[in-house]
Amino acid sequence: MFPVINWNLISLEVLITAILVILVVVDIFLPRESKEDWIGALSFVGLAGLIVFWFTQSNLTGATFGGMFIMDSLAWFFKGFFLLVMVFVFAMTQEFFKALPTRKNEFYLLLWLALIGMCFVASSADFLLLFLSIETLTISLYVMTAYLKSDSHSLEAGMKYLILGALTSGFFLFGLSFIYGATHSTRFEAIQAFVQTHAMSPMILFGLVLVFATVGFKIGSVPFQLWVPDVYQGAPTPVTALLSVGSKAAGFIILIRLFFGIFASWHIHWSVIFAALSAATMCYGNLGAMFQKNIKRLLGYSSIGHAGYLLMGAATGSALGLSAINFYLLGYLFTNLAAFVVIILFFIAQKSDEIEDYAGLVKRSPLLACALLLSLVSLAGIPPLAGFFGKFTLLMATVKAGLIWLAIVAGVNIIVSIYYYLLVAKRVYVDAPRTNSPIPVSLSMRWILGLAMAGIVVIGIFQGPFLDMAMTAAKGMYLFHL
Amino acid sequence: MMSYPLSYILLLPTLALSVLFAVPSQNTSAIRRIAILGVLLPFLLSLGVFFTYNHSTGGFQFIENIPWVVPFGISYHLGVDGINALLILLLGFVSFAAVLISHHIKERVKEYYILLLLMIIGTYGAFLSLDIFFFYFFHEVATIPAFLLIAIWGSDRHEYAAMKLTLYLTAGATLGLIGLLALYFASGLQTFDFVQLQYYLTVHPIPLNVRNWIFGLVVIGFGVTLTMWPFYTWAPVGYAAAPTAVSMLHAGVLKKLGAYAIIRFAIQLMPQAAHTWMPLIATLAVLNIIYCGLVVLAQRDMKYILGYSSCSHMGYILLGIACLNVIGLNGVVFLMFAHGIMVSLGFALTGFFADQTNTRNLDELSGLAKRMPFIGTCFAMMALASSGVPGFANFPAEIMVLLGAWDHYRWQTVLAVLGVVITAIYMFKAIRLGFHGPLPSRWNQLTDAQTALQKLPYILLLAALIIVGCFPTIILNKIEPASKGVLQYALTTK
Repeated sequence: MFPVINWNLISLEVLITAILVILVVVDIFLPRESKEDWIGALSFVGLAGLIVFWFTQSNLTGATFGGMFIMDSLAWFFKGFFLLVMVFVFAMTQEFFKALPTRKNEFYLLLWLALIGMCFVASSADFLLLFLSIETLTISLYVMTAYLKSDSHSLEAGMKYLILGALTSGFFLFGLSFIYGATHSTRFEAIQAFVQTHAMSPMILFGLVLVFATVGFKIGSVPFQLWVPDVYQGAPTPVTALLSVGSKAAGFIILIRLFFGIFASWHIHWSVIFAALSAATMCYGNLGAMFQKNIKRLLGYSSIGHAGYLLMGAATGSALGLSAINFYLLGYLFTNLAAFVVIILFFIAQKSDEIEDYAGLVKRSPLLACALLLSLVSLAGIPPLAGFFGKFTLLMATVKAGLIWLAIVAGVNIIVSIYYYLLVAKRVYVDAPRTNSPIPVSLSMRWILGLAMAGIVVIGIFQGPFLDMAMTAAKGMYLFHL
Repeated sequence: MMSYPLSYILLLPTLALSVLFAVPSQNTSAIRRIAILGVLLPFLLSLGVFFTYNHSTGGFQFIENIPWVVPFGISYHLGVDGINALLILLLGFVSFAAVLISHHIKERVKEYYILLLLMIIGTYGAFLSLDIFFFYFFHEVATIPAFLLIAIWGSDRHEYAAMKLTLYLTAGATLGLIGLLALYFASGLQTFDFVQLQYYLTVHPIPLNVRNWIFGLVVIGFGVTLTMWPFYTWAPVGYAAAPTAVSMLHAGVLKKLGAYAIIRFAIQLMPQAAHTWMPLIATLAVLNIIYCGLVVLAQRDMKYILGYSSCSHMGYILLGIACLNVIGLNGVVFLMFAHGIMVSLGFALTGFFADQTNTRNLDELSGLAKRMPFIGTCFAMMALASSGVPGFANFPAEIMVLLGAWDHYRWQTVLAVLGVVITAIYMFKAIRLGFHGPLPSRWNQLTDAQTALQKLPYILLLAALIIVGCFPTIILNKIEPASKGVLQYALTTK
């Protein structure tokens, strides 16, 4: 006897998988030395179709596969988020590999695989499916991180990422066994029902801490943050971009599902822990970033800092905090990806990621300089840009939860972050360039940069509609319980 | 345009800014013309707003209110009473003069005017907003342009100065923001709208201990902007390094945002807490006046003199705020205007001669008045205004502050009067050293401001000082109802 499966709910994932299969087949039949980037072009067509399809799914809710796979407002929001991330990452990949002799077709396929993983993470309602989705995402990330076989940094980064990733996966399963042991289920719904009727038990808490290791690893929170700077620096830049936005957001979905959903009724126990983690994470990231000489490493540390700000939302344990996380990530997407597009274009022209080589970028390419400035200022959280309103909502949620001390710690961190972001801005805008050779920006990259900059400014000024999106995503969440 | 003048004050420079993006960067004269137009029109509008503001009805006028972020209760709410109507007029004067005197900028002209306009828009927005969120929003919009303007076009130690200024101001503003957010939640009203909050808080006061520390956060946070002692050190360094126009805007206008925020969000929203904090504020005010005043005496760089002197004069503003009476507050608002005009005139004049002499050090300068009679005359008048000589706007302002303070803070008032003497000492010394005496032969080629257009910014600022100084009622009758509005609850709840 088979349960009825609602294929409609899972149609986006089916489509993505179908596209991946088609691309694999096409890749087999392509001539080995083909100059044309067919896979890249087809990927874009596929993405465009998927985004249109995604819009039609806006009111889709329900569960299928016996409740393992769910579709809710939060999943819908984040699937759109991941598709948007992929638009940028595919464009970056096209540009990044133009200058390299490496074959890139497999890279596209791995990106598609990562997208499947991320979409399944957003829709998982069962710990086993969640584990499989995380692994799908992470394994493709391992391979992509070590993709540049001749670059020792890339290999080293891949190795580090693999070892720590495998370790946290082990933690996850170990922790899950405790949770299963206590609740007799891996299904979110059943666990939540158990949690709501029982007092906090040490066994579940122990399991939960181990499971959180995976979340902490994905989002780069203290004490699982050590890999971040090395991997960010060593990985091919499109992968760094994906890690810093896509993979981080995937980590936050898990966090949201666990702590705003399943275990929300024990909020009182973990609120303090998250507040402490948040403070430690933002201090680690921002203080570490102050002394960096490599821009990818700097953004690595800064992404730890942003994970710290985002954890403030988790510490509040309120609907406002959840909406703030969603909104912040949306602004962070455009902001961070704009920076990585600039880094790739600069790397192609200059073969360097050192901040001192960015001196006088404004004379060499005003567009790149402007995009980088907007991105840095938005990361620093200064209006009228997207990052500002994200920080504002997070601070609001924190103050509302009565965590004034955390808000002040965040305030101090914001000041520190302004310092190092502005140092880069100063290099770009004030210092004299070492060479005057202009940096070419192709038309497609102009569009991508334009999109990112428009996103940064529009979200920063017309916050209302985007905040509504973030709040709707939060309110319609499956198992939402506060 | 006449139905929504306040929005046009923001939109017109924004329009000019967008046009500037499209103009090719080689075409500097067109860029300059657009920028001048972009500040002239809002200046004229702010004049119009100020003089059509009906002070007999009082309250907020020219109101525009559009809901912006509904779930948080954020609205695009603009409106002016006597206080901010005067402050946008001040910004109109200073921004117009600042753009006019910027002709000495020859490098990266387009970026310069874009950033300058952005800074001016942010400042206008902050003064016009009756929504706490938008006040902060616009206040911060001005930060990054100021950083870049100082870092790119500044002089000695400009990178250090730019960073210091930005970090101090943002730190202060963030502290203030946390306080205001706490107020938002403590009120339980779910709105950032200033007017609604004020009505609500008078009927449903929040507990006094909560109010006390929120008040502290707001006052210290925005006190940094106001260069309250001991948070003033960013200012002289920043002004000295900044290009002239930025010094003018920052010392003349942006700084007053701090005082404005304290008056609006601390005093007007939490009048009861004000009584707890005011003795401390009065003491800090005296430290500002005397300590910074004595520091000026040791300075030789003209921009540092003006910078420290402006910190010192902020003491009168703080002292006036601390009085919590109508005459004191009248004096504060009056002084914000008078000091803003005076100090920006001082920076403009200093910039004018320093461009040619390449030094601002009074030990090296001498006899400038021989080659620059016009600039020298203006400078002398600026010095007189600064020392509180009758006939200039600063005189009635300082008198009102001192009169207001006398009943509450006896010894502070006496020390504050001493500050006037200190001001006179350093200002007259600056005139004697810089403008009198023999002219070194290497400066025989110096030129005065010649054309009418060159003289216009200085004349404009001086005219404002003198007209307001001789006929203080022009602005006083607009300030008075607003001051009463601010203090109506502070006075009744004492």
